[in-house]
Amino acid sequence: MFVYTLKRLAIAVPTFIAVLVITFTLTVISPFDPVEMMMTQFEGTLDTLAKEDAIKRIRAQYGLDDTYWVQFTRWVGRMTQGDLGISINKQRDVLRMIVKSFPISFQLGLAGAVVTTLLGIPLGCIAALRQNSWIDYTIVGGTLAFRTVPVFVLAPLLLILFVLWLDLMNVPYGWDGIFQGKVVLPICILALGPLPVVVRQTRAAVLEVFSMDYVRTAKMKGLEMWRIIIRHILRNALIPVVTTLGFITEGLIVGSIFLDSIFAIPGFGAVAEAGFRGFDYPVIMGVTMVSAVMIILTNLLVDLIYPFLDPRITLE
Amino acid sequence: MSETDDRNSASSLGDELSGDLKTRSLWQDAVKRLLRNRLSIIGLIITLLLLVAAFFGPYIAPYAYTEQDLLHVAKMPSIDHWLGTDEIGRDMFSRVLWGARTATLVAIFTTVISVIIGVVLGALAGYGGALADNITGRVIDIVMSVPGLLLAALIAVSIKEPVVTWADAIYDSSGFPLFADTTWLDLLVVFGGLAFVSWPGYARLIRGQIFSLREEQYIEAAKAVGVSELKIALRHLLPNAIGPVIVTLTFSFSSAMVLESSLSYLGIGVQPPQASWGNMISSNIGSWSYRPWLVAVPALTLAIVTLGINFLGDGLNDALNPRTGRSI
Repeated sequence: MFVYTLKRLAIAVPTFIAVLVITFTLTVISPFDPVEMMMTQFEGTLDTLAKEDAIKRIRAQYGLDDTYWVQFTRWVGRMTQGDLGISINKQRDVLRMIVKSFPISFQLGLAGAVVTTLLGIPLGCIAALRQNSWIDYTIVGGTLAFRTVPVFVLAPLLLILFVLWLDLMNVPYGWDGIFQGKVVLPICILALGPLPVVVRQTRAAVLEVFSMDYVRTAKMKGLEMWRIIIRHILRNALIPVVTTLGFITEGLIVGSIFLDSIFAIPGFGAVAEAGFRGFDYPVIMGVTMVSAVMIILTNLLVDLIYPFLDPRITLE
Repeated sequence: MSETDDRNSASSLGDELSGDLKTRSLWQDAVKRLLRNRLSIIGLIITLLLLVAAFFGPYIAPYAYTEQDLLHVAKMPSIDHWLGTDEIGRDMFSRVLWGARTATLVAIFTTVISVIIGVVLGALAGYGGALADNITGRVIDIVMSVPGLLLAALIAVSIKEPVVTWADAIYDSSGFPLFADTTWLDLLVVFGGLAFVSWPGYARLIRGQIFSLREEQYIEAAKAVGVSELKIALRHLLPNAIGPVIVTLTFSFSSAMVLESSLSYLGIGVQPPQASWGNMISSNIGSWSYRPWLVAVPALTLAIVTLGINFLGDGLNDALNPRTGRSI
């Protein structure tokens, strides 16, 4: 087990370093100047001489005139101390911005993942048991519908449907904790994104287990169908579903980028979106980095718990 | 691609009329299977409509995409403006048509670029030995460990200025009129970002196809009788790998579209006043509660188009890979 863990880490760490290098290189090769952008806010309040002076001082303060390697090593060094830099537009610590928004997004994401699982596994199971019937086609086709329809399309359409047409709810706006009626819609929209993957994986796994000898034996000795499904099929079929966890994480991160601003939720996605809209590159780098870490860690976690779920997988 | 399908469907119908039913080629068979599926016919129709809108949209559009009618601002759909007007009086129907051109252009170019990169690297991984395979595999892992949208956005943000500066420099030195107008550079930047995040799918697919097909007996037989590697690749590997590639093409066409509108929604991709469904949604989403049609029109268009293309992709999957059956 120890060797296995080390091996997985040996893959995860260089991947992460490569992500660091790519992210940093991209922002450095860009001659796009965040300082100039910041100065446009003070347009007219400073005369030209004072402005040039201010630009020079700010560039020096952020070390923007140093060479690539100096900047890179300084950036990595700072990052190991948990310093992701300071947002250029908001003048706040990037890590603190992310950390502050994280609990909110974590709660929403967790709720979204739970909804996805609770919906996806039964749906996938039903689709497999009724393979090639209209039920199967409806479930598969219906969830396929959400495979690429993005959050910023789904959210306004569902808002119009539920608030304006059906008049089922007030405008869901803001954040007062997870146990509020207004988070239901955002959570459901978040959950719909990764849902097709869970359904597809469950369906395929159930279909595979279904043709196994032990299932036939169980049927032959007269076990009720629901008992076969719960005792024999699901226990084995759910193992591959765990591998969708990495995909779920990615879906939740990307979904929250659009969702947070639409519902005025002060989460991770709101920080990311503001960063992109303002070309605020310490924020963009911080957000990309944290997302990559989360995805790499989730995949590592899947790799590590998988041998426990399926003992046939050798630890070597 | 849909044009090819069309041609095939026409020829297969022709064959049936002439009573020649016995000799159906693989492709005619696939077209038959495709047209049997109701969802994929809907998908095919939507895709064709999109292509028509993309190529002829500017000629069909009743107004220019920037034309403002300040007497009719934020109006509901009417006879003059079929889908209403937006907050500065631009005709929504015309802008949706121009948006179709943007989306299709980005999707076609992104798909072409990423297929080329993917096929080259996939073939390298498949044929280049263990080391090349390992290196390609690691690069793919790295690219895939950052969410596609974030990476594409990061690339678009960082290459935007260099590209504009570069175009300005070319214009200054050569006076070439192409570089005077920089709106198409937005598209170029979006192509770059999107192609960079979409090629790994193709590379994996091609590599997988090469590895699995190589084990087939007919390849072994071809080798045994002394057919050259190149000829095997062209005559045996390529025709057998093309089915899954076409299916992947369809799906990635719609995801390139979605990514383009995502970037434009975030203000990184296609810049206003250029019409993109993404920036139309973005600029109208704030008023969803009192002018719902402004955001509903581009949102529904994007939803219907991506759904249609996906239905087509699903149908093509069933039609071209009959042995795997309905694999979803």
